[in-house]
Amino acid sequence: MAMRQTPLTCSGHTRPVVDLAFSGITPYGYFLISACKDGKPMLRQGDTGDWIGTFLGHKGAVWGATLNTDATKAATAAADFTAKVWDAVSGDEVLSLAHKHIVKTVSFTQDSNCLLTGGNDKLLRIYDLSSPEAAPQEISGHTSAIKKALWCNNDQQILSAADDKTIRLWDRSSMEEVKTLTFDTSVSSMEYVADGQILVITYGKTIAFYNALSLELIKTVEAPAPINSASLHPEKDFFVAGGDDFKLYKFDYSTKEELESYKGHFGPVHCVRFSPDGELYASGSEDGTLRLWQTAVGKTYGLWKCVLPEDLGSENPEQLYTSTPEIKA
Amino acid sequence: MATPVPVLRLPKGPDPNSRGFDPNSPRFIALCRTSISSSAASDSDSEQLQKEQDARSVLREGFLRCLLSMTNKKVQFQMYENVKVEATFGASDIDVLNFQVSDLHTPIGVQKEALIRCQDVISFTFDV
Repeated sequence: MAMRQTPLTCSGHTRPVVDLAFSGITPYGYFLISACKDGKPMLRQGDTGDWIGTFLGHKGAVWGATLNTDATKAATAAADFTAKVWDAVSGDEVLSLAHKHIVKTVSFTQDSNCLLTGGNDKLLRIYDLSSPEAAPQEISGHTSAIKKALWCNNDQQILSAADDKTIRLWDRSSMEEVKTLTFDTSVSSMEYVADGQILVITYGKTIAFYNALSLELIKTVEAPAPINSASLHPEKDFFVAGGDDFKLYKFDYSTKEELESYKGHFGPVHCVRFSPDGELYASGSEDGTLRLWQTAVGKTYGLWKCVLPEDLGSENPEQLYTSTPEIKA
Repeated sequence: MATPVPVLRLPKGPDPNSRGFDPNSPRFIALCRTSISSSAASDSDSEQLQKEQDARSVLREGFLRCLLSMTNKKVQFQMYENVKVEATFGASDIDVLNFQVSDLHTPIGVQKEALIRCQDVISFTFDV
């Protein structure tokens, strides 16, 4: 019997969720951080969506959030002109890095020693977290607000996307621009897949895949609606995308075929990310919720429980129930 | 007609009373650093490290003896928001997260038995 996708809704935020990020896989599982316009980013257990804690301290909308690989540190970028580094185990604020304008994006190096920030002041900044009072290194070049910045190529290079419709590749040691991609329209999101060096970029209704080293185009796929974010599965067989029509789309990466689409959110989808094990993907929306979606619908994983046909309708000692239709808290 | 995938329960939402990061979770207990981190994290002056460790031991022993001698004595707690309360000290939990006290004098009455959250305490005094 065919099974229908049951998204798990994570509530708690009171305003749009604009960014989310997963950690790597740790001995305690993997974790998810969500950035929200309510100024209170939250940490959740990645496979169940259970809330763990809220990082309190920002005085404005949080536009970007990230975790380091072992989920011991978190970083957030906010409209209060600061980027903050947090202890992701205790929830305590560790550092507050003052900027001259709204900060939009933050990214840790793999060893968690450096933090990259970018925002409306058009500068990329690199902070050495072992000497945070030292002035950060600054990279200029973009002619308008930076919306996303990432480390790539083993943290030797930096990729940045800005409202000036360009994506630029920078060399970390020389701080010079290596390559630039120019688009006709603003890029809505950028994701870097380290294994295979693939860059996933979205603009308009297009999801584009580039080689992260050469910035050569691999392929583009057109979606039925304007897309705000896309994510490639770790095994590179699928990718998911979400945007202004409130739906989540799942595509086959090799054939570019649209496989599935899911309704569920009550507002535009702002961000979507695959978990590090590829078993689920999380979406953040204007409706203030995060939803978790199964990659393999019907599989037993996290809170989803596979039910064999003969179990349906029989006495089941475990409490099983199908997810309730949308109930507003 | 496809049936929706069953779920065991819904994801747990935020606790309205706290910011979370449960100190009793296995991850917290395993990973949370002590409140004062070692100065010699990167460099390795082993003699200095040893001196620091000796000092930590002395301070820790002093603190534990202090808690022992406080038992059943009247203690005044200075807390945040300009709160000063007096109570008879009973015991501390193993992680010094809560103090068990009796006859806690508060502006709204005397609480026979209470737990005081240590992170809310700034200082405490008592007569030995």
